[in-house]
Order: sequence, then structure tokens, then C-alpha cells
Amino acid sequence: METLQYFLPQVWFVILAFFLFLYVILDGFDLGVGILSLTSSDEQRRGILMTSLSNIWDANETWLVLMAGGLFGAFPLAYSTILNALYIPILIMIFGFIFRGVAFEFRELSQRKIFWNLAFGVGSFTAALGQGFALGAVLKGIKVDETGHFIGSTWDWLSLPSILVALTLIQGYVLIGSTYLVWKTTGELQNTHYKTGKLAAWTTLIGAVFITITTPIIYEGARMRLFQQPLVYIFALIPVLGVWLIWQLLQSLNRKEERAPFIWTILLFVLTFLGLGLIIFPYIIPRQITIYEAAADPSSLVIMIIFIGFLIPVMLFYNLYQYIVFRGKVTGGEYGE
Amino acid sequence: MELLSDSIVLSRMQFALTAIFHILWPVLTTGMGIYLVIVEGLWLKTRNPDYYLHAHFWSKFYVLNFGIGVATGIPMEFQFGTNWAPFSEAVGNFFGSVIGFEASWAFMLEAAFLGIMLFGWERVNPTIHYLSTILVAVGANLSTLWILTANSWMQTPAGGELVNGKFVVHDYFEAILNPFMINSVLHMFFATLETSLFVIGGISAWYILQRRNTAFFSKSLKIVLAAAIAVAPLQIYIGHLSGEQVYHYQPTKLAAMEAQWKFSPAGKPADWSLLAIPNAKAEKNDWEITIPNALGYILEFKQNLSQPVRGLKEWKPEDRPKMVGLIYYSFRIMIGIGFFFAGLMLLSSLQWLRGKLSADNISQQRWLMWGWVFAAPLGYIAVESGWIVRCVGRQPWVLYGQIRTVDAASHLPASNVLVSLTSFTTVYTLLFIAALYFSSRIIRTGPNLDLPIPGVEITKPAVDTTPAEFVPDERPVEAQQ
Repeated sequence: METLQYFLPQVWFVILAFFLFLYVILDGFDLGVGILSLTSSDEQRRGILMTSLSNIWDANETWLVLMAGGLFGAFPLAYSTILNALYIPILIMIFGFIFRGVAFEFRELSQRKIFWNLAFGVGSFTAALGQGFALGAVLKGIKVDETGHFIGSTWDWLSLPSILVALTLIQGYVLIGSTYLVWKTTGELQNTHYKTGKLAAWTTLIGAVFITITTPIIYEGARMRLFQQPLVYIFALIPVLGVWLIWQLLQSLNRKEERAPFIWTILLFVLTFLGLGLIIFPYIIPRQITIYEAAADPSSLVIMIIFIGFLIPVMLFYNLYQYIVFRGKVTGGEYGE
Repeated sequence: MELLSDSIVLSRMQFALTAIFHILWPVLTTGMGIYLVIVEGLWLKTRNPDYYLHAHFWSKFYVLNFGIGVATGIPMEFQFGTNWAPFSEAVGNFFGSVIGFEASWAFMLEAAFLGIMLFGWERVNPTIHYLSTILVAVGANLSTLWILTANSWMQTPAGGELVNGKFVVHDYFEAILNPFMINSVLHMFFATLETSLFVIGGISAWYILQRRNTAFFSKSLKIVLAAAIAVAPLQIYIGHLSGEQVYHYQPTKLAAMEAQWKFSPAGKPADWSLLAIPNAKAEKNDWEITIPNALGYILEFKQNLSQPVRGLKEWKPEDRPKMVGLIYYSFRIMIGIGFFFAGLMLLSSLQWLRGKLSADNISQQRWLMWGWVFAAPLGYIAVESGWIVRCVGRQPWVLYGQIRTVDAASHLPASNVLVSLTSFTTVYTLLFIAALYFSSRIIRTGPNLDLPIPGVEITKPAVDTTPAEFVPDERPVEAQQ
């Protein structure tokens, strides 16, 4: 029983991190394409951008719904405290989702497409912004009392570091969105996104450098974790690997490779996730609540492994299957009947 | 206003608003998913192109509703944490897991196969496509299963107990199969199906009245009529069973549904109030029409009550639902619509048997067709009324008999909730108008009967006779280059 108390929350921490990772990759390029659509000059291009997402956007977004549902069941205290504290960033994200979600179908049916184009682009940007603020706030820490309930104020999430995280996250989404479009499109459109990809790689790098430098300076907790033996060697390796990956990414963009940039970007995201995970674990709200304190009863965690965990391979399989069905370049701006 | 400075009241208003608005969209997709399975099956079996075109035409409504359903569903999930943090923490062990089950069993399945169902006609073979359509319908209906399981558990908590303010589960299957669960799932399953049937029937009837594609739409009308023959009576019966369960498990709700203020003992008949003006302050009905000795028949088809019906006066005002009138009338509206559907179904079946619904003479049935058009929005009203009875009637409890709603809300500054409530109201009003506008546009445009039918060779004239006309390229994207 003693080991279960530790083992089960760890399993769920990994599962939820995996869901969040899939979400950030998949909806990351989804939102990134949405943000990029704001820079698109003509209607046909925007049509292609939206077509490249039409069959997958809701499945991509569902990974977040799944992550949140899993968090609710596995770590109820974290779910309630985090969401309670992040009332405003979550709302920013939700309204972004609403606008971009309905834009797909409304744009198709509408004659004044400009309004729904804007809803799609601005909605995507807003959703990413809300997520960035939420991530920044969680990293910064949430004020709680001894029972783990939120006691801070409504605007705690807004700070210079959280703005920095939000901006960097948006850059990351634009980067992965660009490389996705490089993969899925051809011709002039592809060329444009080689350029946006390069630009976003640089801006992401700048943001990442700033965050990496400022984090140990601002947060004592992170500093302690970073210089802890033997983790310090891994943490020393991460920036080096990161720079190498960005260099590889830029090279592949220069060589006009089609798939490699997307894959290098995913690897960059993997690395970031590993770094964040190592800084946060075993906390779920950094420096305040550990996964063991926030976890639901062991019996709940076991039931959830049976009801959700075993479905993970199945979900991965049919998601992958539909990517295979819709493989290849997107050229038409029409959905097709 | 005092109301606007109370964040709990505002959170409740926000939850009510977002839930009432959200449910409008999945109701249609869950029910219509089954209809799409039927028409695609008919297409594969008979190879009659009309069924293929039906699948295409109605899936336009499906995708419109699905998009709004997803967009308005996300706020529901997050609100448990943002506005109801104490509730989420207290019931996370069970309720949170179920929300996770819904996402993994239902949402992901529906979302992943919807792409293939909508855009995959020419990318996968017919069997895989049909399988995708079936899985979309299964996914949508699994969502009904889990969300109704979660809500039923809030009505009749089972399988564990509150320990230090947290619900500790002893038996998961007892919690899942709580007393209300099976009936509630079935009641909602048939509610979405019945609403969708009458929406499809209503739109079909509108075309028939306009004499547009009469033969085509008489097909869909007959399919939904055939389904309604089974669904309409079954739904009334399951509704009755649900009422009986309320009688046994939720005495405060039953008293509000029937506006019963005084105690009625078991073993005796009691009067049933048909229409009334309940007055919560005076704790009586200001005016009412009662049917003597009918309550037993309404509840159990028996003259004498098998257990007492308790009156609202027996509880302190803070221990019983406040909005008695709302519950009482919502209940009656829901039942009225259920019987209206059954009546319309009977009348239409009669005309069908008399051969009056054939493609040649169906458009002469003007009154009957107007009846169907009138019925199209009623299912939604019935669903909303039913949920009002269910959830307003559960008050003052969020977890019936165990956790009060006032203790379940997050402590938020009222200004935050006021801003979010106002934003939701504005955005949802816009969405509602846009959805109505775009639906009516789909209806006005009508079905595209010139779609190429898979497996049928297109015979084109050797010389293009109308070169100036824009011909949309309907081939798969690869072939367009």
C-alpha cells in the first residue's frame, strides 16, 4: 500500500504529462496555423490553411479536454486550485477556443468570410495567449493555504515572467505551425512558411534563452532544483541540446526539407517538456502541492487506469489512422462535398 | 443590485446559462448521428443514390452543430474548476474520473472519426466509411452515457460516503450504476433521438410544403416517422419511470414538480394538481385546478399511494427548492411536448397506412406537414425543461442530500464572474443568431442533388454546353492538380 501511494500518482503524472505533450504538439500547430492565418494576404491561402486543419482540429483540442478530465479525476485538488486561481487566463483561452472553433464551419457557410477569418486568427492567438499566461502563472507558483486552497488574488497570474512565457509559447506555436504548413503545402505557400519558420525559430530561441536565464535568478525553488546533484548535469545538457536542435532545424529549413523541420520542432518540444517536468516533479503546483498530496484515492487512480489508461493505445491508433487517411499535401481551399 | 454582488449567485447563473446553451447542440448531433447511420446503411444496401445524398445533406447540419457543441462544451468542463472548486475537490474521486471517462471514451472517438465521415468519402472504402459513421454515432452517445452517469450520481449519490468533506468511493460500480443512472441515460438517449427525428422531420415537411424535392424529402420524413413510432411511446414510458424514481428518491423535487405543499399519507388516494399558481411565500397554491384522487395514478398507475407524498411545507425553506413555479411548469411543458410528439406520430402513421404519404400526394397533407414544422423546435424546449426540473429541482443541493450548492462554489470576486457571465451572454447570443442564420441558409440552399455518386459513371456531354458556368471541382484534392 505504501508503494501504491507513491507509484499511482507518479503513473498519473506521467500519463497527464503525455496528454499535455500531445496536446501542445497537436493543437500547437493547430493554433500556430491559426495565428499565421492573420498574416495571410488572400482568401485562397486562408482556405488552404483552414482546410489543412478541418478534419483534425477538434481531435487535437480533445487532448486538452482529456488532460483536464484526467487532472480532475486524478488530482482533484490541483484541478480545483489551479483553475480557481487562473480564472481570467482560462476564460481568455476559452473565448479564443469558442471563436476559432465555430469559425471553421461558419466561414464555409458565410459570404462575408472576413469576419470569420478574423475570428479564426484572433481566436487562435487568444487561446494561445491564455495558455501562455496559465503556464507562466503555474511556473511562478500559486498562493495557497495549508490545505492547498487558493488564497491569492485574481491578477496574480499577470507578471513580467508570465508575459515572457506567454510570448514564447506563442512563438513556439507559430514555429510548429509553420513547419506543419511546410510539410502539408506546396509552392508559394510553402515558401512563405519556410520564412516564417525561420523567423519563429529565432524568436523562440530568444524567448527560451531569456526564460532559461531568468528562471533560476527569479525563483529560488527552481534554482535549488537546477543546481541539485546529480540533476545539474542533465540541466546543463538541456540548453546545449536545445541549441543543437535549433541549429539542425534552421539547417533543414535552409535546405528546404519538407518533413524534417516539423520533426526537429517536435524534438525541441520534447526537450522543453523534459526540462519542465524535471523542474516541477514531484510537485503539481510548483513548490506548494506535490502529486501525492493532490492525488485522488488509490482506488480512483486504479479505476482510471483501467477506464482511461488502457484506452490510450486505442486512441493513439485511431488518431494516427486518420492522419494516414488524410496524408499528403493540401492544395484545394474547398472542403469537398 | 444585491444579486450582482454575490459571486455564488453569479456562478450559478453562469453555469445555468452555459449549460442551457451548450445542450442545444449535442442534442442534435447525438440523435442525428443515429439517423446518419441509418441512411448510409440504406445507401450501402439499396444503392439508391437518394440515400447517399441524404447522408451528405444532413451531415451539413451535423457539422454545424458539432462545431458549436465542441466550442461551448469546453467551458463546461473548465467551469467545474474555475467556479466550483470546492465541489471539484470534494467529488473528484468519482465525478472527476467520470469526466475523464467521457473525454477518453466519447469525445476522442467522435472527433477522430468525424473527419473521415465528413471528408473521407473518397479516401477510404465504403465499409471503413460506414464504420466511421457508426463510430461517430457511438462516440456521441457514449457522451450521453457518461455525462448522465455523472449527473445521476449527483441526484442519487451512491457507492461511497462523505468523509471530512470528501467523497470516498467504496464501490465504483455501485457509484456508476447509481439508482437514477439507467433510466436517466435512456431518457436522455431517447430525448436526443426524438428531438433530432422531429427536427429532420420538420425540415423535410417544410420542403414538402414548398413542393421542393418532394419525393426526396418524403423519404426522410418516412424514415423519421418509422423511428418515431418506436421512440415516442417508449420515451413517455421511460419518462414515467424517471418520475417514479423521483417519487422514491427525491421527495423535495417531487413535491415541487407537483406543487404539493401538504403531506399526503400512504395507502390513500390524493388529489393531483393539473394547473396551479404556486406561491412559495404563502406556502400554498394561489389558484389551482385539481383532479381528485389522481396523484396515485399519475405516479404509479394505482389509486392509493404506496408511500407518502411529502409536502413542501414539511421542510424549512432553506432545505427545499425555491423556484417551485419554474419546476412545476417546466415539468408540464416537457410532458405536454412528449404527448404532442406521440399524437403527431399517431396521426402521421394513420395517414401513412391510408396511403396518403406517398411522394405524389404527401404535399396535400398541409395541416399534417405544418404540424411537423411546428414540432421541429419543440424537442429542444422539452429537453431544456427536463433539465430544469432535474437540476433546479435538486436544489438546494449540488450533491443531493449531502453537499449544498452554496458550499460548492469558488470564492471569486463578484466582478470576475460578472464579467465572464456578461461575456458568455453576449458571445452566446451572437452564436445563437449566427447558427440560426446559417442553418436557415443550409435549408434555403437545399440538397445538392447533382453530386457525383460513387460507383456511378458520370456521363458528360461531349461538348460543354455551358462554358460560362462555374463548375465546382468536386474531385478529391489529389486529382485536382
